[in-house]
Amino acid sequence: MSNRATLLLGVSYGFMSLWSLFVMAPVALMLAAAFKSKRAIFLDPLGFPDNLNFDAFQRAWDTGMNVFLLNSAIVTVASVAVIVLCSGMAAYVLARSPSRMMQLIYLLIVAGFAVPVQAVLVPLFQMISAAGLLNSRLAIILPYAAYGIPFTTILFYAFFLDFPRELEEAARLDGCGKISIFFRIIVPLSGPAIASAAIFQTVFIWNEFVLALLMLTSPSLKTLPVGILQLQAEWTADWPAIMAGLSIAVVPVLIIFVAAQKYFVRSLAGLGK
Amino acid sequence: MSSLELKDIVKNYGAFEALKGVSCAVEPGEFVVLVGPSGCGKSTLLRSIAGLESISSGEIVIGGADVVGREPADRGVAMVFQNYALYPHMTVAQNMGFALKMAGRSRGEIDQAVKRAAEILRITPQLDRKPKALSGGQKQRVAIGRAITRSPDVFLFDEPLSNLDAALRSQMRIELGRLHDELRATIIYVTHDQTEAMTLADRIVVMNDGHFAQIGSPLELYNRPANRFVAGFLGSPRMNFFNAAVVSADPANITVRVEGAGDDLVLPRNGDAALEAGGRIMIGIRPEAFALGAEDGLTFAGIARVVENLGRETLLYLDCPDLKTVDSESQEGYVAVQQSSQFTGRHGERFSFGVSADAFFVFDGDGNTVRFPSSTISSQ
Amino acid sequence: MTPDNRPNDRQQRDRRVVSSRLATLLLLLPALGLCAVFIFIPATLAIAGSLFEIGISFSNWRFVGFDNYVRVFNDAVFWIALRNNLIIVVGSIVLQVGGGTLLATLLDRGLPRYSTVYRTIIFAPMVISTVAIALIWLMILDPNTGALVAAMRVVGFPMPRLGWLGDPNIAIWTILVIAAWQYTGFMMVLILAGLQGISRDLYEAAALDGAKGMRAFWYITLPSIRNVVLVAILITTIGGIKVFDLVFATTQGGPANSTQVLGTYIYLQAFNLGNMGYANAISVVLLVFAVILGWAQLRATRRA
Repeated sequence: MSNRATLLLGVSYGFMSLWSLFVMAPVALMLAAAFKSKRAIFLDPLGFPDNLNFDAFQRAWDTGMNVFLLNSAIVTVASVAVIVLCSGMAAYVLARSPSRMMQLIYLLIVAGFAVPVQAVLVPLFQMISAAGLLNSRLAIILPYAAYGIPFTTILFYAFFLDFPRELEEAARLDGCGKISIFFRIIVPLSGPAIASAAIFQTVFIWNEFVLALLMLTSPSLKTLPVGILQLQAEWTADWPAIMAGLSIAVVPVLIIFVAAQKYFVRSLAGLGK
Repeated sequence: MSSLELKDIVKNYGAFEALKGVSCAVEPGEFVVLVGPSGCGKSTLLRSIAGLESISSGEIVIGGADVVGREPADRGVAMVFQNYALYPHMTVAQNMGFALKMAGRSRGEIDQAVKRAAEILRITPQLDRKPKALSGGQKQRVAIGRAITRSPDVFLFDEPLSNLDAALRSQMRIELGRLHDELRATIIYVTHDQTEAMTLADRIVVMNDGHFAQIGSPLELYNRPANRFVAGFLGSPRMNFFNAAVVSADPANITVRVEGAGDDLVLPRNGDAALEAGGRIMIGIRPEAFALGAEDGLTFAGIARVVENLGRETLLYLDCPDLKTVDSESQEGYVAVQQSSQFTGRHGERFSFGVSADAFFVFDGDGNTVRFPSSTISSQ
Repeated sequence: MTPDNRPNDRQQRDRRVVSSRLATLLLLLPALGLCAVFIFIPATLAIAGSLFEIGISFSNWRFVGFDNYVRVFNDAVFWIALRNNLIIVVGSIVLQVGGGTLLATLLDRGLPRYSTVYRTIIFAPMVISTVAIALIWLMILDPNTGALVAAMRVVGFPMPRLGWLGDPNIAIWTILVIAAWQYTGFMMVLILAGLQGISRDLYEAAALDGAKGMRAFWYITLPSIRNVVLVAILITTIGGIKVFDLVFATTQGGPANSTQVLGTYIYLQAFNLGNMGYANAISVVLLVFAVILGWAQLRATRRA
């Protein structure tokens, strides 16, 4: 190998390693802080914890991390299920109907993709409040579902366009109507598309902040992002407890991500296609 | 009563007329093959019978009832698709029993029907496998088995063998013939492969441009094609066509001048009363009508540009200086010649063939056949 | 076929059409209903509400015409917010898309080994909640106990006296860097997918034609991923217009409104100050930007 190529390789590895360090350092500092005492973090913010001190985790867990974790899980699972089901059904009908009317409906749903939730906070809050849904899980599950539908519909629409028509025709001859074709033939064969859509929406809903902040004020309903922020407000400068809370929230997600990183990457890279 | 009757079926896609009013009746147990070039409407017709396409007008009568308004599943038809269309997430047995399950039949009844079909098709060992684990031929059998379990009034086949390799295709062809005999099923079969049409069919329907060009038994269509389209469509290599004109006509004979040929030919009248002097006609000659070295009738002398030795037969493409074919196998106007023997000639050599005037097909200006070779049996 | 059979057939046909229509409706309605109720109706209400003065109790709407818009365009904080959105958009395109392209190129061609490890690490922040990220950085950047301050003290590098997030002239730039920390990996993965879509044959053909190294990158790679980069830029732009979580969780728009963005300013006006009608007018400005950019993104995506 020539000198120039070796140099290039060295520079490449150097640069990638530096960036990786930049990415990993804050996560490492979070973990380190979570194991320190309040005193230690004040005296030596950079150093390693002397011993594994689980006090901070105890404090964080007792203040409601367990509740937040459960709330986030409930909200995410429910929203993603609604999104996948509704988008799949709609995308199937739209992908199979050549009529102008259906094309218009598709465009309408797609147009919803462009509307950011920040721009409709006021009317959304007024509507949910008027419906008496404030401080209920439905107050975020339904909007989450609605805002996930446009993108997921686009994704499924493209997938269904490529779905072999002969299978559906065979099913019609075998006595299936539209609905039974969808549930008996299409759904069982759409695993990859469903997984991709579900991962994508899970990442966004698990981390969603502004709606949860607005709609849920009762501590027993708060999701992780809002709950964590509440921790910080309650314990100004108790960094170990805050970081322990963050670790509880972040580490499981990171572990799942590393285990299934191939699918995460494929799912999110799909945005560019 | 017919198993299937089509009455004046019309199918429009916007301004395009895919089916221009076709009618026919299929008898119980009959094997009918629809052939034609791509885009002729044969698949559209099959899919219309199945109910996968809606027709613009006409009636489709199956088992005595007009089924036009019915769902595909309620028409008494089963279809075998080109790409098999097996459900990948179901086992072979589930695939075959799915229609009965959807119809709400009991488990025992379904198992019975699946077992019977599997035995007929010899796929019993594969019943618990998924389609992915099967070979092409096995998938094909399952697709047929799925149709059999439904015991339909009419079987519809949409180019079912086109995805198989050549060896498997001829094996399945024989198998299909056996199945037809065994089940005495009424079958409508779409293909673009004329070998399948000739070997399988009781009757062939040749379609062209949304019409039925001709309906008849395989030999009838081969020997007595109603028009130039059918004459050219069946037979490989294609029939050789030559432009010609009627020089003179009297009640007993007509005199024909073939473009590029030296001498005029005198043909005795043979049911071609309509031909008059001055009319433009076409002469058609099958490749197998050529006799090496013969002198009577029309003679073709030229250089063999291509010689294909196929073992049991030989195909030559003869480049004659003036006699050029039109709309035939060879783009360059070469004359296709088939000899049912092995042949030592090489390309580049000169050969001379003769064709007796008895072997001529004559087509009038509209392309309709006005005279058949006198030597062929007219199977009516 | 006897003629009196026909009405029967027609009935059957009608029933089939009706049941098929019903199925279509049944499959379509949930998605359409959710989108209508939670996207289209609120968007319409936001536009309509921007013409009213609405108190926090929102029972008393008072029509004020375009007064809210006049106020918006005379509001210095609105312009600060818009400028900050612009800084984040442009800065993120440079840092995230530029950095992402560089990292993706190195991953695609440069590293014979461990590229999956690097990709996984650099992409990971994408799956972490922005609020969590904000808090981690708050700790690191804490002017008294922060790790960065401690590290810089060792090197002797001067620190801003009010802290990285406390100095009104610096805070928005700090936020920009935190955003880059979170999303550059996402852009890298997006662009990497585009790079891996380029056929190797193309590079071999180009090498035979004498294009290698930088020239191959310029003539083969860049034109091939142009569309993916465009989509990446649009995603980043839309993200920059919509930014909320990071600002809210780090500075809440402060100090002295210096990091206010449209999203946080809407929230402040609506839910802290109770000016719902006024917040709607700002929302409409945000909506216009987002719809134009979203439409552009979809067009670019479809072409890819």
